[in-house]
Amino acid sequence: MYATKQPSLRIKQADLKCKNGCGYYGNPDWGGYCSKCYRSSMEKDRHHRKSDHSRSPVPGFSKFEEKKRQQTDKKSKYLSFAPVVFRRTSAAKDVGRPERHHEPRHTNPEMEKLELEYMSTYIHLGRHVRDDFFKFVKFFNVNIRNEMNSRPIEEVAVVAQKYYNFFANRINSHEIYSKMEQETKDHLIDFFEKFSMTTLYSILFCPHTTNDEEKDLAIQRRIRQLSWVNAHHLDCCISETSMEVRDLVYAAITHLLGMDSVKAPQEKLSYVVRCCQSVVEVLRHCQGGPVSADEFLPALIFVVLKANPARLKSNILYVTRFCNDARLMQGEGGYYFTNLCCAVSFIENLTAESLNMSEEEFQGYMTGTITSVSAWESALVACEGMHQLCEHLAELKGLSERMDSVQEGTLNLRETMEAFKKEINAKVIEIRESTPLIIKPRKIPISLDKQDSNAANLPSPLAPTVVNSSSILSEQSEPITIPITIDTVADETDETTTQTHFYTQNLATQELNLMDSKKGKLQLDITPCLPTETLKQSQSNELLAYDTQSLDGFITPDDGSLLGLSNINYDIDLSDLSADNSVADELTPEKKKSPNFMVDPFSPLSGPCNISQSPLIPSSATDAPIASSSTSRELTNDNFVLPFKTEDSSLLNTQGNASIVHLPSPIKPHTPHYSGFSMQGVQIPSIPCNTGDYSSLNLVQQRESEATTSGIGDNSKKEENKSNEKVVKVLGGVLDTIDKLF
Amino acid sequence: MISLTYKFTVVMADCPHTIGVEFGTRIIEVCGQKIKLQIWDTAGQERFRAVTRSYYRGAAGALMVYDITRRSTYNHLSSWLTDTRNLTNPSTVIFLIGNKCDLEGQRDVTYEEAKQFAEENGLMFVEASAKTGSNVEDAFLETATRIYQSIQDGRLDLNAAESGVQHKPSQPGRNLSNDLHQKDNCPC
Repeated sequence: MYATKQPSLRIKQADLKCKNGCGYYGNPDWGGYCSKCYRSSMEKDRHHRKSDHSRSPVPGFSKFEEKKRQQTDKKSKYLSFAPVVFRRTSAAKDVGRPERHHEPRHTNPEMEKLELEYMSTYIHLGRHVRDDFFKFVKFFNVNIRNEMNSRPIEEVAVVAQKYYNFFANRINSHEIYSKMEQETKDHLIDFFEKFSMTTLYSILFCPHTTNDEEKDLAIQRRIRQLSWVNAHHLDCCISETSMEVRDLVYAAITHLLGMDSVKAPQEKLSYVVRCCQSVVEVLRHCQGGPVSADEFLPALIFVVLKANPARLKSNILYVTRFCNDARLMQGEGGYYFTNLCCAVSFIENLTAESLNMSEEEFQGYMTGTITSVSAWESALVACEGMHQLCEHLAELKGLSERMDSVQEGTLNLRETMEAFKKEINAKVIEIRESTPLIIKPRKIPISLDKQDSNAANLPSPLAPTVVNSSSILSEQSEPITIPITIDTVADETDETTTQTHFYTQNLATQELNLMDSKKGKLQLDITPCLPTETLKQSQSNELLAYDTQSLDGFITPDDGSLLGLSNINYDIDLSDLSADNSVADELTPEKKKSPNFMVDPFSPLSGPCNISQSPLIPSSATDAPIASSSTSRELTNDNFVLPFKTEDSSLLNTQGNASIVHLPSPIKPHTPHYSGFSMQGVQIPSIPCNTGDYSSLNLVQQRESEATTSGIGDNSKKEENKSNEKVVKVLGGVLDTIDKLF
Repeated sequence: MISLTYKFTVVMADCPHTIGVEFGTRIIEVCGQKIKLQIWDTAGQERFRAVTRSYYRGAAGALMVYDITRRSTYNHLSSWLTDTRNLTNPSTVIFLIGNKCDLEGQRDVTYEEAKQFAEENGLMFVEASAKTGSNVEDAFLETATRIYQSIQDGRLDLNAAESGVQHKPSQPGRNLSNDLHQKDNCPC
């Protein structure tokens, strides 16, 4: 890639010598020249560029562009060789001045931080000091940036050192600083270095113009290759099994790694110092006495090998270049840093001899044919395992605690939900119990019907009804008596016969007057009742038995009753014997009194309806007492039913049923109400009637009708059940999901 | 009122017991002048010889220590000396010290032999014992004096970065306690 671009820069073995051919070896950092030739060539180059630049600034810029490209190429290619470096540095030299004018970035948050630090630490020094300090910092900053564009990094480092000295001299001599303590001055000098280096870090650390990065990678690779080296190989007395020692070694490694995390050279140095102090601590632990360099250096090498710090070379070079020389050459920092440099160079030049082992063994280790499971490594592994175990245990503990709390929460939730469920169930039951009560008001429409019918057709009968209502008490007592009367066949039969006669007459007139087949059928239904009653009092018992047998009939008749008028009539009759009787009684006397009059009211269409309705009233009234005497009803029902059955044997009945379906349309609204209330009371009686006579035929029809009607009546209850079920289901689902979650 | 900081590089050729590495400074007085000594211990093993060059940078003096009871340490002196000579400036004072002079019975290198070697190479020489402390203080004092003299003579440039001598206004009372501590750390 580079070769195709600039083939002339390809370098052979001979080119490793100074480019000038002076016989000395060249240095990649010096553009392939030896130090002497490099300096002279730089001078020449600078002169040359000056004149060149004055003539045509544009080419210089294009060169800069080219350099940039090369740099990015280099960044992506770590394994590039010296030629690249050489060219790059020469390219760096070619950089034209146009690039020089960088404005120092004041938006840098770190810079703000540093300024803040200055303000907090040195604000007491006064405005003059501050102004001078920042002026010099800016001056230094701009100059170094300019230098970076025109010179190799080593020269920039020299310039930086000069500036350090210059600033130190200025502080020590200038009158602005004369009032300060020497210690404060030293601190300020240090801070100057820190400030400027932190701001310039990005361009001075591992600069593009050097191969620092490649060196980093090389040393990293090298250390990785030497991972098998243990304390024993290095003759250093680190007892790898001691817990304390291990912790100290870890501390040393951490500090060494921390070096890369700070920016100012002095901060990096302080990390090195901390690392080395930890190493000294380790040695003190291991050998008990004072520590000498003979033990220290191997131990430090060991730590470096185990730490394998990132960008180790870059950091060392950066500190070497830009740390104040005065600090680097003395003091603790300087000493330990020197040791670190030695350790690194030892690692770089490590041979079999330096580890006191044979060449074969060394190669075996390097190639991986020999693997050593060192105590250190196994200890590290074990330690790591233990660490992980402990961490996991702690994590598990936390988790189990959380689990417990969650389970508690779920239990609580479950309890509350169950309580809620119970509460809801109780409420539902309550509502269920209360709903029949609510439904009762539906009787009102029945009464309305009464009123309507009475008002429209028979004002006269209304009066007696009023009397009846007033004497409800007597009526209520009556039903009990009535069954008894039923037992006494003779009396009833007499009465009924009279009634039947009356009805038959009425019906006959109605039939004549009204052509509606439905009504006629109704009448027909009624008429037969009379003889049946007389004929089959004994049958009543049979019928009762039958009713009980056909449970299906119970349900079906309700629906059937809804549709059929006849059924309704029966229901009414069944429900309230007393009422029926009373009505009958009432009617009978009236009719008896004035049969002619009776005919008139019946003559209109409403006539038969009245009859049917009037019995309805008592039924509604009886609904309440239903529970008290179901048997009585049945008995009563039977009485009424019996006639039916006998008559129904003919086809007429079936027709009548069909017709009934048509007729009751106005009544339909009433029936659903009944069904809704209490299915049993109203339905039971009706069922036997139909079923008893034509069990098969009627049942089919009734069921068909049921299918439609039951939908309404049952639905209300079903809906209640469903709603309950839904609530339960939802609650159960919530519980299930919670169970699944935990 | 001027204190000078001397940086000494102490080479203990293959000598197992050396001055403690714990970093310390020592302040001595030469001709009424307070001088702060910084002592950098270096690893003396032969295998580290190649990498210890950076220790010499900016050293004003060098102490080469061998063990009189072990001849091998003496034999290595010449190679160490070569390094020292090559890596320090000519004015650097080099002091040869024969350690463990208290173990006269186990002596392996005679005083005369070492004295001759020192004279041939222009080194100062003394036999000392770190254990008893005999001549140790003298060695440092002597070296400091020689350096001071070379400064006075103008042979050592204070302003040169590589001189290993820093010239500072006095800072009295700094790290005096370190001084004693340092002494105690010489266990040889």
